[in-house]
Amino acid sequence: MHALLHRLQLLPSTVLVIRGDALLTEDAVLEPDDEIEIRSVISGG
Amino acid sequence: MKCTRCGEPAEIALRAHNASFCRPCFLFWFERRTLKQIENEAMFVPGQKLLVAVSGGKDSLALWELLSRAGHDTLGFHLELGIDGYSRQSLDRCQAFAEARGLRFEVRSLATANMAVPEMASATHRPPCAACGKAKRYYFDQAALEFRCEVLVTGHNLDDEAARLLGNVLRWREEQLFRQSPVLESRHPKFVRKVKPFFLASEYEIAAYAFMRKIDYQVQECPNAAGATQLTYKRMLDDLEHESPGSKSAFVGDFLRRGRANFAEPASRSDGGTCTNCGMPAFHELCSFCSLRREVERKRTDRNPGREKN
Repeated sequence: MHALLHRLQLLPSTVLVIRGDALLTEDAVLEPDDEIEIRSVISGG
Repeated sequence: MKCTRCGEPAEIALRAHNASFCRPCFLFWFERRTLKQIENEAMFVPGQKLLVAVSGGKDSLALWELLSRAGHDTLGFHLELGIDGYSRQSLDRCQAFAEARGLRFEVRSLATANMAVPEMASATHRPPCAACGKAKRYYFDQAALEFRCEVLVTGHNLDDEAARLLGNVLRWREEQLFRQSPVLESRHPKFVRKVKPFFLASEYEIAAYAFMRKIDYQVQECPNAAGATQLTYKRMLDDLEHESPGSKSAFVGDFLRRGRANFAEPASRSDGGTCTNCGMPAFHELCSFCSLRREVERKRTDRNPGREKN
C-alpha cells in the first residue's frame, strides 16, 4: 500500500484506505482483486 | 504491524504518537485521551447541558458520538446553510445520526430566513466562508441561549487549529492569537463558554474513529471550500508533519503552553450593548449578523425594486 500511496502522491496521514470493513495500515499488502476506497480526511475552508 | 497495547494486528498507525493500534485499543485510547483533555482544560463537567454544533461532517458527528457515549447531556444543533445539493445531504446525515441514537436535535435554516450562504456572498461581494462563519457564530450563540445550554461544543480539530495558528502568525494577528484557545470563556451574560475537545486530535484520528464507530458522515467537502487559504496551510502542515511527525501538536500545544500568554486580551470595545433588531449582544446599534442581514436585504431591494413594492 505504501507504493500505491506514493504513486498517487498521497500522504498516509491525509487519507483513510478502506478494504471491506477495515482500515489498512501502510504496510498492508494489496491483492490484485482487492477493492479499496481511498477517502480524504481533510476538511475545512 | 502490531498493536502497541495488546500485540494483535494493528488497523491504524499513528506516527506522531509512535504507536499502532487494533480497533478496540484505538477506540479506547482515542476516547480516553479526549475525555482527559476535557478534564485537563476544565471544559465542562458531567451534568452540564452541552450544545454540540454539528455540520454532518466527521469531526462534529464523531464528537457528538464520543460525548453521548460518555454520558454527557448533549443537544445537537445544525444550521442549514442553503447551499444547493450540499446542505440537504449534511442535514440528512445529522438527522439520521440523531434518530439512530435517540439523541435530541434542533435545526435552523438560513434558506428559510432568506439568508442562504450563496445569496449572502453574492449580495456582499465577499467570500462565502466569511458570511457562513458569521452566521454560524450568531446562530450557535442564539441556540445556546434559547435551549438553555451551558457550553457550546465544536468539532475543531488539531489540523484546523494548526492552520489557523499558522495564518495568525504569518500576519501577526495579535487579537486572534490571544483568542486562539480550546476554551473561550463567556464575555457576556447572553454568551456561553465555547470549547473544542478535539483541539489536539488530528483529522486522520477523527476520521478513523468515525469510520470505526460506523458513523455515516458527509464525506463530500463544502463546494465553497475549494481554494480556501486554510486548505493551503493544511497542505503545507501535512508536508511538515510527514517529514517530522508530531510537528502539528507541538506547534499548537507549545503555543498554548508558552506563546499565547504573550498576547494581551484586547480591550473590550463596548460592554453590555444590545442589538436593536434581535436583542443579542452588539458592539454597535446592530450586531454583526443583523448588520449583514440588513445589507443583504438592501441589495435584494436594489436588484428587485418592484418585488419589494408589491
